[in-house]
Amino acid sequence: MDVQFAKIEGKSVGYWVTVSILAAATIAGFVATLIMNEHGLYLSGMTNRVPWGLQISMAIFYIGLSAGSLVVSGLYGVFGKMEYKPFARIAAYLAMLFLIAGLLSIFTDQGRIDRVFTKPFTYVNATSMFSINPALYSGHIMICVLYLWALFKEKGTLTKITSLVVVLWAIGTHTGTGAIFAFVPRELYNSALLPPSFVAAALSSGAALMILVIVGLSRATKRHLDDDLIIWMGRRLLSIFIVVTFYVLLIENAHRAYLAYSREAGFFFLSGGVHSLMFWVGLIFIGCVVPAVLLFIKRTGTSVPWTVFASVLVVVGVLFERFLIVIPGLIHPPELFPGWEIQDAVIWEGVVSYSISPLEVLQTLGVIGAIGFAFVVGLKVMPLAPLEARVLPAKS
Amino acid sequence: MDRRNFLKRGSAAVAGAAGALSLPVLSSCTSEAEAAGSRLEGKKWGMLIDLTRCREGCTACMDACREENNVAYHGDRRWDVHWIRKATLHPHEESAGLEEKEVLLMCNQCDEPPCAMVCPVQATYKRPDGIVLVDHHRCIGCRYCMLACPYNARFFNWKENPEWPNKEYPRRSHGVAESCHFCAHLIDKGGRPACVAACERSGAGALIFGDLNDPGSEISRLVAAGGAKRVREDFGTQPKVYYLGL
Amino acid sequence: MKRSTVLTEKNRGAWATVFTVIILLPVVFSILKPLWAAEPEVFLDPPDPRWESCFRPKEYMRFHHMDLLKEARSQVIRDGSGNGITLAGCGDCHRNREAFCDRCHEKASVSLDCFGCHYYLTPSELEELEGGGH
Repeated sequence: MDVQFAKIEGKSVGYWVTVSILAAATIAGFVATLIMNEHGLYLSGMTNRVPWGLQISMAIFYIGLSAGSLVVSGLYGVFGKMEYKPFARIAAYLAMLFLIAGLLSIFTDQGRIDRVFTKPFTYVNATSMFSINPALYSGHIMICVLYLWALFKEKGTLTKITSLVVVLWAIGTHTGTGAIFAFVPRELYNSALLPPSFVAAALSSGAALMILVIVGLSRATKRHLDDDLIIWMGRRLLSIFIVVTFYVLLIENAHRAYLAYSREAGFFFLSGGVHSLMFWVGLIFIGCVVPAVLLFIKRTGTSVPWTVFASVLVVVGVLFERFLIVIPGLIHPPELFPGWEIQDAVIWEGVVSYSISPLEVLQTLGVIGAIGFAFVVGLKVMPLAPLEARVLPAKS
Repeated sequence: MDRRNFLKRGSAAVAGAAGALSLPVLSSCTSEAEAAGSRLEGKKWGMLIDLTRCREGCTACMDACREENNVAYHGDRRWDVHWIRKATLHPHEESAGLEEKEVLLMCNQCDEPPCAMVCPVQATYKRPDGIVLVDHHRCIGCRYCMLACPYNARFFNWKENPEWPNKEYPRRSHGVAESCHFCAHLIDKGGRPACVAACERSGAGALIFGDLNDPGSEISRLVAAGGAKRVREDFGTQPKVYYLGL
Repeated sequence: MKRSTVLTEKNRGAWATVFTVIILLPVVFSILKPLWAAEPEVFLDPPDPRWESCFRPKEYMRFHHMDLLKEARSQVIRDGSGNGITLAGCGDCHRNREAFCDRCHEKASVSLDCFGCHYYLTPSELEELEGGGH
């Protein structure tokens, strides 16, 4: 029995309410961007000491989410696991949308949005990760489109090839995104482990979000979903990703705190402020330890509600992690004169803080609204969702 | 036209567009290289700050820079732009016996500028004469250069500049990044940076500007004599701003 | 299951066309505006004796001035060359920015990015500045 895909009906009140909310959020974000573009980015919470804030943190979060989606679709495309074929189309579509969300978040954060549609294409800087990455993202989106087409047309060989290419390209994209920060000479950015840690967290958050989307979709459309598929994704896939993420984070922070020249910065990250709370409680406890334990223990790991809960925790934890990649490196000042402290004078020279402004929140909601809208409408106009998802009968 | 055909044609269009877009990229890569190599070659501008001559409380260089270059001031530390600024250094607890001192901070005009490396459109770049500056017609305001600068010397125009003290020189509207460029527009006419001139006028003469490639220039002699330090030389950025008395 | 009577399989194409037309209206407006906008009266101060004539004839300048400016600014910024072409230099002869720049740009519907940064006040702005200045 081959997998059947079908458009969702999309006529219920719930559906139209969802679409309306997402559309409203999109418009709100658009207006917020328009206002800031007109009057200046001072309306955001960013300052000369913290020039990147919520929008960039969310951008790398979305881009990370696309990796996990592609891995899930790769389960069918690359590894030939037929029981995961039902989710391949949604995963590929969602991955494409997340990449678009990442680009959208970055574009709306620029000082001169009118230039960002032309200049980066005519003037390329091969040494700039900000120049290389949009090329990677655009290429990634195009491969996702090709992949989706292969899935729709049921072209077996092309599916296998594009699935493999897209997974490899995804690793490249995410390494590149991590490199945006890792290849910068700031104490809390400069780290060879940052790109791998970015990829690991991307896989965790993406796989976790796929679990949430698949379960949510099957419940909302009342289409059958075999529990074992979700449990396998949680216990055998997501749990491994979480462990790897934790491992890389552990080494990165231990290394920084150990060596004398980076010790002050390392300890600032681990115990120097609100961000440290975000790290220990948000990322380590909520994002890694609790979900890993929940997934490994048999009683909770074999239950779909607990797996869903663990997935939510992972997504939240990685959101904190993206924030922690961007902000602490900026609020911590560079040590320009070792042995001396620079006093605040005409600018803040020491540790500063960053607070999110309402307009930035609206921009973020706008991006989520835009891709949410595209996803929900996509489900209705394209046969993305499977009619049912069952574990295949065991082969003898 | 059904959905599948739409996807098919859509992806073909996207592929075609990508191919078309790549052409200007290829052409601009080569033209950038050709544009360099000009009358600016040979010189390597640098600055030396003699902190022993810098007067406490004097802000002549800061004021002159702001007046000359229309540097934005809003009276708010979040958004004020400072191409050159003063700061006080406090010794850490352990270093007893050392006293507070004032230091001048500015763009170090690195010879290996991380800001130029990361600018996605090459708006921030190094001229053949060593000056690192921003092409404000090209800057898209991504602020990556501000992240990349390990000296926190780069600023962004968050808000429209309310003043225009020097009508002979353009100012920057909101949305672009900037930092000190050794008053390149004055140097090109044979002059010197506004801060250097102002410091001399004030009687302190703490700022010395010159060509590091000219062994006979005052700055070259002072640097060769030894004792002149740069900020965090271990960063490897090769700053061209030297300090005496640090 | 209730089928829609407004948007059906048959009139999908028509709806798509209507949607596209509405979306493209601003673009069409921009393109067609010069057809009904008034022809500007070009007003020139007597030329400054420093300049014998402008760099190129009027028709060439009207069409190519942006190319000249882009080339010049590229040279000035990237090459530090003092080739003498500045935006302020145009103002030596063409003192009235409203007549020289704004009127044609209004008609052609091409927005100007220059004067937020480059000093070239219109006569009314100049009057306001001098009248209410300190």
